[in-house]
Amino acid sequence: MGQSMYIFLLVGFVGFAILAIFLRDLLKAAISLAFSSIFLAMIFFHMKAYYVGVFEISVVAGLITVLFIATIGLTKGQGDVKERKIPLVIFPLFFIAFLFLDVVIMNALKTQMAVLSGKPEVPHFPQVLWGFRTLDLVGQIGVIFAGVFAVLALFRKGGTHE
Amino acid sequence: MLFLFIAIPLAVASILPLLGKISKRVLPDLLGNLTLVFLLGYTLWIGKELSQAGGIVQRLEWLGEPLAIVLVLDGFSHLMLFTVSSVALCVTLFSIDYMKHYGEKVPYYALFLMMIAGMNGLLLSPDIFGIFLFLELSAIASYGLVAYGLGHDELEASFKYLMLSAVASGFVLLAIVLLFGLTGSLALGDIAMGLRALPPSPLVWVCVAFFVMGFGLKAAIVPFHAWLPDAHPSAPASISAMLSGLLIKVSGIYALTRLLFNVFGVTPTLSTVLLYLGTLSMVVGAFLALGQNDIKRMLAYSSISQIGYILLGLGAGNPLGLLGGLFHIMNHAMAKALLFLDSGSIERATGTRDLQKMGGLASRMPLTAATSVVGSLSIAGVPPLNGFWSKLLIILGLIEAKHYGFALIAILASVLTLWYYLVIQRKAFFGKLNEIWRGVVEAPFWMSASTVILALGCIGIGIFFSPMLKTWISPAVEILYGGTVHALNFLGL
Amino acid sequence: MNSFWFLNMGVVALVVFLSIYGLLTMKNLIKLFIAVEVLSKGLTLAWIVTGYAKNHLMTAQSVAITFIVVEVCVVATALALIVNIYRHTKSLDIGKLTKLRG
Repeated sequence: MGQSMYIFLLVGFVGFAILAIFLRDLLKAAISLAFSSIFLAMIFFHMKAYYVGVFEISVVAGLITVLFIATIGLTKGQGDVKERKIPLVIFPLFFIAFLFLDVVIMNALKTQMAVLSGKPEVPHFPQVLWGFRTLDLVGQIGVIFAGVFAVLALFRKGGTHE
Repeated sequence: MLFLFIAIPLAVASILPLLGKISKRVLPDLLGNLTLVFLLGYTLWIGKELSQAGGIVQRLEWLGEPLAIVLVLDGFSHLMLFTVSSVALCVTLFSIDYMKHYGEKVPYYALFLMMIAGMNGLLLSPDIFGIFLFLELSAIASYGLVAYGLGHDELEASFKYLMLSAVASGFVLLAIVLLFGLTGSLALGDIAMGLRALPPSPLVWVCVAFFVMGFGLKAAIVPFHAWLPDAHPSAPASISAMLSGLLIKVSGIYALTRLLFNVFGVTPTLSTVLLYLGTLSMVVGAFLALGQNDIKRMLAYSSISQIGYILLGLGAGNPLGLLGGLFHIMNHAMAKALLFLDSGSIERATGTRDLQKMGGLASRMPLTAATSVVGSLSIAGVPPLNGFWSKLLIILGLIEAKHYGFALIAILASVLTLWYYLVIQRKAFFGKLNEIWRGVVEAPFWMSASTVILALGCIGIGIFFSPMLKTWISPAVEILYGGTVHALNFLGL
Repeated sequence: MNSFWFLNMGVVALVVFLSIYGLLTMKNLIKLFIAVEVLSKGLTLAWIVTGYAKNHLMTAQSVAITFIVVEVCVVATALALIVNIYRHTKSLDIGKLTKLRG
């Protein structure tokens, strides 16, 4: 892939993210979010980060989109929330302004960054995750349990306290 | 075995849902409390080993093969561990009676133990991403706990808390990315060495700013405090006690202090920033607490104010100020938890949190009134309670560092604090007994017992403040004052 | 740090701006949460790009995957909250959630 392909991926990623936030229809917004994830995963593949690319597609573009669609389904009815039009209209102004600032700051910082290179790395991924960052795995297990318990707590019966 | 601090709460939390129907009434309470008794005992026991060794590094092994879990304990984390386990134990004792009206207890204790595991993991982790991960763990558990009552207020408060907290975590992660980019490593020791070796660059300042914004929101420092006055009143009283007394200190103040002092190295500019933030929190919190009629909301604003005091102590930069700041972390945790638990007792007995409606409850609820007075006087800084000593040390530290203006503001804010706490006490407990409350009885056994334990703790620490300072706080101060040198501990050297 | 890294960090900054803009202006609860999701995507990109630029891709991927797991749990909790709020107020408008004032 070349430079132009990469720029296309970046533009797709940001473009679908913009759509996801500004689209009126919730379902279309969720699907834009999924597309944004897919572009992000392709960016990861371009950088040869295969593991996280696959994980991003299956979990973020897959699981999270399913969760969003389930929630949208469970909360339908009683009319839509009317979003104000003004933020959408003035957004391009802010966007261009920020883009300009962004480019200026990045160019300024580019000349000043000295960095350390750090220790050389083991190239074998499973060894890194299991062998070097095992505490993260404990944390992951904890976080998953916490999420499960939180959802269980929120959907339990007979707990209302007004 | 430092790993037990994380593993035991996690393990107990995971087996809780597997309990049968019959044991569901007693076993969650029993297991929850036993876990905390174990944690507290283990903290005290490991203190002996710590004082001999000066710092414990544990490398886990699995069947002879080294597993890459490294956990580090030093004076500062040990102080926080002790505060967490002692206050949390009292809160779980309180929960035995308090949670009877909330339906199923199993999710509550499971989430509670998860929160404890997350806090312990944060305290013991030598790795900056580990800090983030366990921070998120206790945060997710707290989102569930704040909304536990499933009432309108609780859900709204939990949602706003979640949104703001997620953005704060985002900023923390951005700062971590920048640090990783600059130094190439995620271990705190490596980062400290790396930052010293690099020439000063604007990116380091951006990192510090992001960390202050992110952890500042978790610690409810003004101007990032907006979520706290909504989240703490709506949550169940035991959870308000945990959040206000422990979570904002562990996930906010501890993380920020550890990074600023031991990794970045505190410079005079950083100290000044801390002083200004602290003063802002102190004053804004105190003023906003004045007009409140909801007792828990007032306590929440008071927490914001007291966090300001802690920041002032930390910003003073000298050992006296650090001594006062760290001591205040422990004292405020105990006293604020005590006050929130008492407010829970009042709410359970009278069904309201509105101070205008209360009056003269002391004659019907003597224990609650007495412990509440102890807690209020402690926070207001009245001798010989523990709060007095920590506030005195902070003010002395400020004076010694020639920050006379800040010291004066701190004294004035202290007077304000004393005033509004006395007003609350008078409105709620003393004065004429409001006729509606004639039938009210004292809180159930465990609720009163836990508040009495905390009150005795406040009094005891106040009287025995000198040995407390020597054994618990001084080692922590050495670690922080030593600055980035101590980051080498985290390399396991 | 080469210009590739700066290009991508510029995009990350843009995405963060987008997310905060969304958080400040949107009124639908689910939209607000989509804004938080976009923020998470930007952060994941930042991680991988930094790892790539420093030749530490494996650590970066490991951390990014852990972060995605955390993100999923936060999403699950938040959406459970949203469903519960909807059951109470029958609306997804954040304007209705004004009982508490910061």
